[in-house]
Amino acid sequence: MEMQTLLLKSTTATYLVGALLYLYFIVTLKERGARLGRMFLLIGVVLHLFGFGMRAAEAGHTPVTNLFESLSFFALVIVGAFLATEVRYKLRVLGAFVAPLAFLFSLLSTFQKSELQSLNPALNSSWLPVHVIVLFIAYAFFAVQFAAGIMYLMQERQLKDKHLGAIFKRLPSLDVLDDINYRCLTIGFPLLTVGIITGSLWAQNAWGTYWSWDPKETASLATWLVYAALLHGRLTVGWRGRKAAIVAIVGFLLVVFTFLGINLLPAGQHTYASILE
Amino acid sequence: MVDEKRAQSPIDRVWDFLISLKLAITVLILLASASIFGTVIEQGRPDKAAQIYEDWLINIFNKTSMFDMYHSWWFLGLMFLFTLNLTCCTLDRLPRVLKVVRNPKTIFDEAFEKSLSLAGRWRKKGSMAEWTGKCTAALTASFAAPRITNDGDAVHLYAEKGVISRFGVYITHLSIIFIFLGAIIGNMIGYKGFLGLPIGDSVQFVPVRNGSELKDVGFRVRCNNFWVEYYRDQFGNPTGQPKEYASDLSIVENGQVILKKKIVVNDPLRYKGVWFYQSSYGEDKPAARMLLRRADNSAPPETFHLLFQRGEAYGVPGMGIVRLLDFQDNFEGKGPAIQVQIEKEGRQPVPMWLPSADPELDRRRGDAYVLSLQGVEQVTWTGLQVAHDPGVNIVWVGCTLMVIGIMIAFFMSHQRVWIRLSPAAEGKIDVAVGGAATRNRLAFEKNFEKIQGELKELQS
Repeated sequence: MEMQTLLLKSTTATYLVGALLYLYFIVTLKERGARLGRMFLLIGVVLHLFGFGMRAAEAGHTPVTNLFESLSFFALVIVGAFLATEVRYKLRVLGAFVAPLAFLFSLLSTFQKSELQSLNPALNSSWLPVHVIVLFIAYAFFAVQFAAGIMYLMQERQLKDKHLGAIFKRLPSLDVLDDINYRCLTIGFPLLTVGIITGSLWAQNAWGTYWSWDPKETASLATWLVYAALLHGRLTVGWRGRKAAIVAIVGFLLVVFTFLGINLLPAGQHTYASILE
Repeated sequence: MVDEKRAQSPIDRVWDFLISLKLAITVLILLASASIFGTVIEQGRPDKAAQIYEDWLINIFNKTSMFDMYHSWWFLGLMFLFTLNLTCCTLDRLPRVLKVVRNPKTIFDEAFEKSLSLAGRWRKKGSMAEWTGKCTAALTASFAAPRITNDGDAVHLYAEKGVISRFGVYITHLSIIFIFLGAIIGNMIGYKGFLGLPIGDSVQFVPVRNGSELKDVGFRVRCNNFWVEYYRDQFGNPTGQPKEYASDLSIVENGQVILKKKIVVNDPLRYKGVWFYQSSYGEDKPAARMLLRRADNSAPPETFHLLFQRGEAYGVPGMGIVRLLDFQDNFEGKGPAIQVQIEKEGRQPVPMWLPSADPELDRRRGDAYVLSLQGVEQVTWTGLQVAHDPGVNIVWVGCTLMVIGIMIAFFMSHQRVWIRLSPAAEGKIDVAVGGAATRNRLAFEKNFEKIQGELKELQS
């Protein structure tokens, strides 16, 4: 196996260790767990960036053109988005929810064919890195928002049942979690918008039409509409907190559907990487 | 907002419904749900549905246009409601925002001061004129130049930043209307088509709407050459997977070559609003080589090809459209022949056989042009996507506005700072400061503390 493939695959193990350490932290509340967990995630990100760079050099294009590459890259961006959020909010607990998610995508990537594949001429464009990277960063913040949404629902259940179990002390307050919901939206939504627009510009240049209702386009539109609804819903009081958390969870499931589920559907123009290969 | 005191007329109720946030959210969710249906149910392929769905479901899908959702009355209706909601919200709220922006609250009275979470007070020695000058200078330096209002013996200073952030949301809403407008224009007066153009051929008519119609683009496009480069395996043999393919195209107008360009995937040719995109190709495909002459020999003859594919047609200005119907290797023992019909406005198209052995047969038609089959050969053609979309630039304006609008709405904040100076006993001056921001209050708080600190430190 080439060095870069090895690097990319080895990050799966690093993310696993990171995730386990964060889980250890949330169970025992031992600071060391979170500290080490972050260290492992950081090591993972560095290895991942190296592997990504080497693969890009070898392929001659941004390596996000098949399922192995894009799943792996998604894991990288999720970890990156988590680390950025952690620095900003000092919310180490979030790691116990986000790191396993990143590990999951990384693990999924290892089941895919990892050989470098020749590039379809339609993908040979400088729009490729812009379009894909912008969208993946948006998706990563939606992943963090998704994790915060799950934490919100868990915490709320604890409060409602008046049964303040072990997990209660470990989870941040509902206000903080709702704030993360909003912050992630203010990063994710503009990036999702820019990502869809760059896709349109690219499509116009490659296919002669900026919008063709192909399944991937339509699914990304659905995602955009759901987050737009969340944005407007948050303006009314009733949509903060619980409802916002639920919509964030639904939104991220749609993101995963847009990213992976479309490959299971009948062919569209975006189906360059089939999950069934 | 609803005026509680007035009895609501039906028009008011309709208006309140149209501007409601509830409607906005409902329409967004409905459009999102519809889009998900659209991705799961393959559009434009009801023929495939029989293998996937039960008959009763197909029946429902057909009745609700689920196989061609994006053109269905209910989807377009939702889009219309969406646009109406956007427009009405803007008409309702924008004037009020404009009013607030035009007439900012410049008087910093005590009641207002109490309503602000960011505020401070202190007392300084000196005269009103002196402190008005000092505070104006300090605020100008650290924040923005203030507006000065005299109210009784008090002087009020008001400074603001990022007032445009109040308009971000309206710019975003307007951008969506631009995008829809561009899309409607493109759909109404634009066209899209696919052209299989053999090397050496030139055409002026492009098949649109899946070949059911030929569109005169107003000039000729010629394929001078076509190349395809394949990826190679480790032994250097081509793998059959194309790496790049390219066409050398010329635009010919009035017999003159106006423009020449080599196009590849992702790099189209554009002339007079018509775009030619490299999209596919065919290698060594059978085609009929046709000869087109003037009956009176007034112009040199031309050749073109008719590809052996369903619905193949070729337009000749002044003659009409030649549509290929059939081909036979050996027609009535006279060798290869094709069956074509010539479609001309106001004339009933009649199918006719053109054997290559009888090039003068078409003279019987009595037209100014004589068409004949020269032979059948293998050709390589370039597949061009042809598009004319006069609405596309409006769509791009919309997209740009959307990005600008969202950036303004999300990342800019309307920040305001007020100072009130009022004379106190013993020749002293009371200073009151207040601040407010519409977004990112944490960052503004820090900024406000800094401004306040600087003001406090000023000495007379």
